[in-house]
Amino acid sequence: MSTITNPETKALPEQRSFPVRRFNWIRLVSYLILGLFAIVYLGPLMMLVITSLKTMPEFMKSATALPSGLHFQNFIDAWERANFLRYMTNTLLYTVSATVVYVVMAVFVAFPISRGYVKGAGWLLTLYVIALFLPVALIPQFQLMLGLGLYNNPFGYVMLFLVNPIGIVILVNYIKTLPIELDEAAAMDGCGYFRFVTSIVFPLIQPAIATIAVLHAIGIWNELILPTIYLTSKDYYPITRGMIVFQGVYGSEWPTLAAAVLIMTLPMLLLFLVLQRYIVSGLTAGAVKG
Amino acid sequence: MHNYHFGRGRARWAPYLLLLPGFFFYVLIMLGPSLATAVYSFTDASGIQGSQLNWIGFENYREFLFMGQASIDNYGALWRTLVFSFFVTSIQFSLGLFLALLVNQRLIGVNIFRTIFFMPVILGAVIQGLIWSLFLYPLGGPLATMLEPFGIRSEFLGGQPSTAIAWVIFVQIWANVGVTMMIFIAGLQTIPSDLYESARIDGASGWQAFRHVTWPLLTPSVNTNLLLNIIGSLQAWQLFLVLIGYRNGTQVLGYLIFAQGFGQTSGSVTSAFRQGYAASASIVLFFIVLAIGLPVQYFLQQREKRILG
Repeated sequence: MSTITNPETKALPEQRSFPVRRFNWIRLVSYLILGLFAIVYLGPLMMLVITSLKTMPEFMKSATALPSGLHFQNFIDAWERANFLRYMTNTLLYTVSATVVYVVMAVFVAFPISRGYVKGAGWLLTLYVIALFLPVALIPQFQLMLGLGLYNNPFGYVMLFLVNPIGIVILVNYIKTLPIELDEAAAMDGCGYFRFVTSIVFPLIQPAIATIAVLHAIGIWNELILPTIYLTSKDYYPITRGMIVFQGVYGSEWPTLAAAVLIMTLPMLLLFLVLQRYIVSGLTAGAVKG
Repeated sequence: MHNYHFGRGRARWAPYLLLLPGFFFYVLIMLGPSLATAVYSFTDASGIQGSQLNWIGFENYREFLFMGQASIDNYGALWRTLVFSFFVTSIQFSLGLFLALLVNQRLIGVNIFRTIFFMPVILGAVIQGLIWSLFLYPLGGPLATMLEPFGIRSEFLGGQPSTAIAWVIFVQIWANVGVTMMIFIAGLQTIPSDLYESARIDGASGWQAFRHVTWPLLTPSVNTNLLLNIIGSLQAWQLFLVLIGYRNGTQVLGYLIFAQGFGQTSGSVTSAFRQGYAASASIVLFFIVLAIGLPVQYFLQQREKRILG
């Protein structure tokens, strides 16, 4: 610590006073700008909360005025009319099942690629990386699902989410940080490949697993296009699709719609605040090394 | 690469067998269909089960690019895609860098601001879209009310195509600048602080320190962000769906592909599923991504070699 502060303390007083005063200005301006941006981010959310607490006549009279009281009736209406319980359950089932299966398969793909335990590991990794550039798979994927008889089928829908190339890349990079001596020692003790990956690699790469699980789960939770294409019966709708249908029917009843949006938003916001660390580390993984 | 430690003979097959399920689904669901898009673009595939599939050569491309009003509309969509991508990329990139520099200072509460700016990423297109549709509600909605004293009236998302697209650009940046910012923050944190220390001792101004220390050393995150933003914005269209819907004069290529491939109700008319045609549009979009992405990638690599050696 002292070595870092040394040059500063040696500086002449006149030289020091100028940067210090300017630094305060920068701080003030920074806060002002950050505050302005925060308004752009939180303002619309606040409007959502205000609107959700109004009655429809109040909203018609003035969309921006504060509500006269706390009308939680909108939330009850939205919950009952939108069939939310059903949609939420569906979304939860799709998200959890697809994420669990995906993560397990992903580790068994990423580990041998990272270690070079399969031939052509480099090529395999490239195959996963180029996915970012390739044309959208929508059309042939649809033909495939039709052909397999998996159209409007919840299992078919979940199958669509067993793939996520970015997760593989994140895992491969993370596994590289595990020392190879670990493999040698375990093998020496007679540990088999399957048991090594499940009981030693899995626990050691938990941070990376958390990251790809969260990223993947968010993608499934928020997916709108695939349910629009593949799920036609309302019983299978996830929450996103249900929300769009609800908007189509109650689009002009903003107070109820706002309540519905909040019901859908809250679980995600809470989850985000808890898991923020993993989401951020996943998005920035590999970005810095170049 | 490393030697395999876990046995020989049959045991040598374990990693291959266990890798297979994941790889199988990758090829089945993503890689295969992605490549097959090129094949489908030469057929008259429809979305109807059991219908005949005919090879029609370049007919889809001819129709897409050179046939009357439809192709003029397609060029419109193509142009809007480029405009959308240009504005989203340039603004999101600079704003992301700006915000990252702001919240990377040693200030109280910067973590709260980071969280706030990143939040929309989690909410997804549906919620992002609904939040802003409410905010931009033209009949006495929040923004309309705020603008009223200034005598400004706008239909916002329901107005002129250019107004509507401008708002989608705004929401797109609002929703995604958090990712750009986070990647820049991660990059900023790899820059050793003693470099700034010595720059300051050498009498460098804030701008000079940025120009000669921050900017060159930020090259890896600059590359990542630029490429991600370009490719992402060329392919983005979900906010168009949620905010505007399929409206003439506002579609971008991604939305056009979806609408042609899976039918889109506009008014009372539901168009047919023209999947072969949509596949050819996907290939056109793919070539645009390549035509812009590859030179940019090449330029960025050359620049990185020059700067970081």
